[in-house]
Amino acid sequence: MKKLFLTCAFTVLLTPAAYAGEVVKIGVNGMVCDFCAQAIEKVFMKQDAVEGIDVNLSDKQITVDMKDGKTMGDEAITTLVNDSGYALVDITREEVSDE
Amino acid sequence: MRKFMTYASIGLLSFGVTQTVQARPVSYPGGVTAMVMNNPDSNSVHLHYSPTAKYSLGYKGEYWRDGEYTIQAVQMNNLLKRWNKPASQANIYLKSGVGVAYSDKGAFDHETEPAFYTGLAADWEDRRYFISYENRYTEAGDIDDFFMQSSRVGIAPYIGEYGDIHTWLMLQVDHRPEAEDEVTVTPIVRLFKGVHMVEAGMSNQGSLLFNYVIRY
Repeated sequence: MKKLFLTCAFTVLLTPAAYAGEVVKIGVNGMVCDFCAQAIEKVFMKQDAVEGIDVNLSDKQITVDMKDGKTMGDEAITTLVNDSGYALVDITREEVSDE
Repeated sequence: MRKFMTYASIGLLSFGVTQTVQARPVSYPGGVTAMVMNNPDSNSVHLHYSPTAKYSLGYKGEYWRDGEYTIQAVQMNNLLKRWNKPASQANIYLKSGVGVAYSDKGAFDHETEPAFYTGLAADWEDRRYFISYENRYTEAGDIDDFFMQSSRVGIAPYIGEYGDIHTWLMLQVDHRPEAEDEVTVTPIVRLFKGVHMVEAGMSNQGSLLFNYVIRY
């Protein structure tokens, strides 16, 4: 019984969470240089829900990793992009699992 | 005033043909930008803060070599219009400053005068090409008043990603009707990485240009 308990405990502790967070891909118009990328990065990284961000100038897309259990609505994302000085094209969401 | 209107008309006419100069005068909300500019006409320091992406407010200090005078001013930059396209961006800015001019050259014995300047700046760029135009009228009481305009074209020999070193080859034409050298042409190399931008060039009159911008 003790062996079974320990096995279960280690399994729970060592197994990564089934749900690691949401990834939001955002198409943005007007990003042409590093200052543009930096503006987007700084504005998004101030948000509590944001774990990390990747700006791809060639794809005209930013990829935002949300913290576990956190998300941002489309309206909030649109506002952030506009406030950064750029124009939102589209938003697509993916749920990422660590399994 | 008539002189200003004449030069402004020339500037606006050339606007359609050429377009404007320099680093963007407005940053992201909460962004701080420091610029040090050294060109054949002047040396300047400009430090500004952007509460929003629509305007910035800051200090600008200038030394004008021909007249040997300084202008210390509070400068406001307004983004009047931005066009965000899939592969390009275009902007029109209004840049204005109010402050004090100081000179002790010649007849000026520690002369201090109120100073004011304003001008339009416009640019268009994608990741390969850049074109800009900028004008400015400056009024510094008895010390000086002048109109100037400049235009710049640039090409990036390669396309870098965010974080790479970006290189631009540019050509700047400055027109200052009242200066000894009315028109100067300056080939420039711009290097751009992350928050840093450096520009260096030498004009056809042999004067050095060196600009540095940091945005944080």
